[in-house]
Amino acid sequence: MTEKKKGGFFKAVKEFAYGVAAHDSARFALKTRASMEHLFILITMGDMLGVPILPPYYSLRLLPYVVPQISTWKRRMLREKDLTDALA
Amino acid sequence: MNSVYVLILGFIVAFLGYRVYAKYIDTKVMKADPKRATPATMYMDGVEFMPTSKNILFGYQFKSIAGAAPIIGPIIAIQWGWLPALIWILAGTFFIGWVHDYSSAMIAMRNDGASFGGLSHKLISPRARIILLSFVYFYLLLIAGAFGNVVVSTAIGLKAAPMAWLLLTIGGILAGQMIYRWKKDIILTTVVTVVIALFGIYLGTIAPSNTIIGDELANSRPLWAVVAFVFCYFAAVLPIWRFALPINYVASYIVFLGLLFGIIGIFVLHPDFTLPAYTDFTIKIGPLWPIMFVTIACGAISGWHSIVSSSGTARQLESEMDARPVCGGVMFVEMMLAVFALIIAGTIYASPAEYGAAIAKGPGAVFAAGVSKFLGVLGMPTDIGRAYGSVMMIVLAITIMQLVIRFMRIATSELLSDVSPIFKNAHVGTIIASILGITVVLTGWWQYLWVLFGGANQLMASLALMLITAYLMSEGKPYAWAFYPMIFMFVTTIAALLYTSFTLMQKVFSGAVKGEALIGNTMMGVIGFFLVIAALTLGFEGLKAFKRYRKLRLQPKPASA
Repeated sequence: MTEKKKGGFFKAVKEFAYGVAAHDSARFALKTRASMEHLFILITMGDMLGVPILPPYYSLRLLPYVVPQISTWKRRMLREKDLTDALA
Repeated sequence: MNSVYVLILGFIVAFLGYRVYAKYIDTKVMKADPKRATPATMYMDGVEFMPTSKNILFGYQFKSIAGAAPIIGPIIAIQWGWLPALIWILAGTFFIGWVHDYSSAMIAMRNDGASFGGLSHKLISPRARIILLSFVYFYLLLIAGAFGNVVVSTAIGLKAAPMAWLLLTIGGILAGQMIYRWKKDIILTTVVTVVIALFGIYLGTIAPSNTIIGDELANSRPLWAVVAFVFCYFAAVLPIWRFALPINYVASYIVFLGLLFGIIGIFVLHPDFTLPAYTDFTIKIGPLWPIMFVTIACGAISGWHSIVSSSGTARQLESEMDARPVCGGVMFVEMMLAVFALIIAGTIYASPAEYGAAIAKGPGAVFAAGVSKFLGVLGMPTDIGRAYGSVMMIVLAITIMQLVIRFMRIATSELLSDVSPIFKNAHVGTIIASILGITVVLTGWWQYLWVLFGGANQLMASLALMLITAYLMSEGKPYAWAFYPMIFMFVTTIAALLYTSFTLMQKVFSGAVKGEALIGNTMMGVIGFFLVIAALTLGFEGLKAFKRYRKLRLQPKPASA
């Protein structure tokens, strides 16, 4: 029990230190990756809608990777944003 | 009074506020429900909406809200005496500060993670959103100006600071390269870069700026203002992993270690307050009410926190039960930081005259002297301790400044790109923000600038409290606990902004100021009046929304309800 508590305490301290020092970096890295994905989906989406941009062979090969992300991509693109979003 | 009693009093207020008042509001009024899905779990996209451990978010929230303001505010406000400042820090946090931070996150969570623009559109009116967003730009300019001033005065007042700042920057850039380019171990990276930063502090003491660039340049305000904004320019235009974030990463260790050992030093030394508990109602900056209530912003309540809580933290909380420890809890920690700063200012000088001479050089000098004294108890030499304190102050100020300039760049692009496509360019937006910031830093008297920044900050807080009240009314929940703090903050802040703007413009029209000061006074006076007009318009919109909600509540419910 004490050991568990001790582990819990050290885990909490470790997580706190991560939150102070590195969580923001991780979030920004993810945001950068997400903006790349947006661009990628934008390219492939045109093809899916019937406006060929990439050769269909590559589109079909990429399709399984793109489809699972469409719903979150759609939400991110359509969500109302304002200046304060850039701050945090 | 002994400083340890003040610290203990702070802990008692934090305990009661967090465990009794905040718990009551959380469970009985807001009815936080562990089973209710939060935006982080509902809309998880692995980017913005991402369920995150409350311990990580505690650190993230602390890092995001604890800049230089909770330290500088009390250091300036002690001019009215330490007792009024202490009462405002403790009572402000207990009745208003945590309410504001916690509720901002809660209302954002219960509105699908909407940001403040969206919330004001939904809860108040479409016009409220437009005013709020135009207000934000000037608010940010004042932050850049006030914090820029702190950096400049610290670099001039403490000649060891520039070298320490330079080495910290080098350490930070190296950290970015080691982590992201060379894929080095994080522990090795941390050790190497923190050691470089610490070595910079030592090097600063043996190679102060005046011995390298000469007295004239070392004391030049324009030089250090340009250096500070060039630093922010790189932070705004370079990839964030290359400059801003790794420097903040290394800096967080310097700040954290300094605060930890500083607090231990207070307990070991337990000095008595040497400055008077109360001086006068009206001092050089202005009257105690309303000016002191905006001078101490972040240590009691700050509008900045509402932006972090709503747009950042609310989208990552995995349970509603985490909002109280993360948002409310961190506000009480920040209150303790403000108490720490108050103890520093109130105990290290033998007389008010000695304090007066130190504060004339800027709050950075006072803070550095305090850190040096308390670290000295643990064996650190005075000059190194002073350099350590000065770099802490620069880091705390510039961390927020670089974020603000980056944000102003985005805002310039959003607001002006329709006028000309040139404003979409990152360099153009950053240069505009930097020039405006440098102008404010070089032309404004720093204490007025600080009051205006505090006023804008507190106004942001009262607008957040207005949104919270509107939400509570729309849900039919008890709202007095947010409504009365909002009224107090609204009236106090508008009074402070009017007083300061009027004083500034009076100096302009009476011909009391000339040259640079004329530009600074006019610019700050006009910004102050603009903020008041924006706030009054928003207040009017808020009033209409409150009436609408009251009317809805009084309407008889349909029979099926």
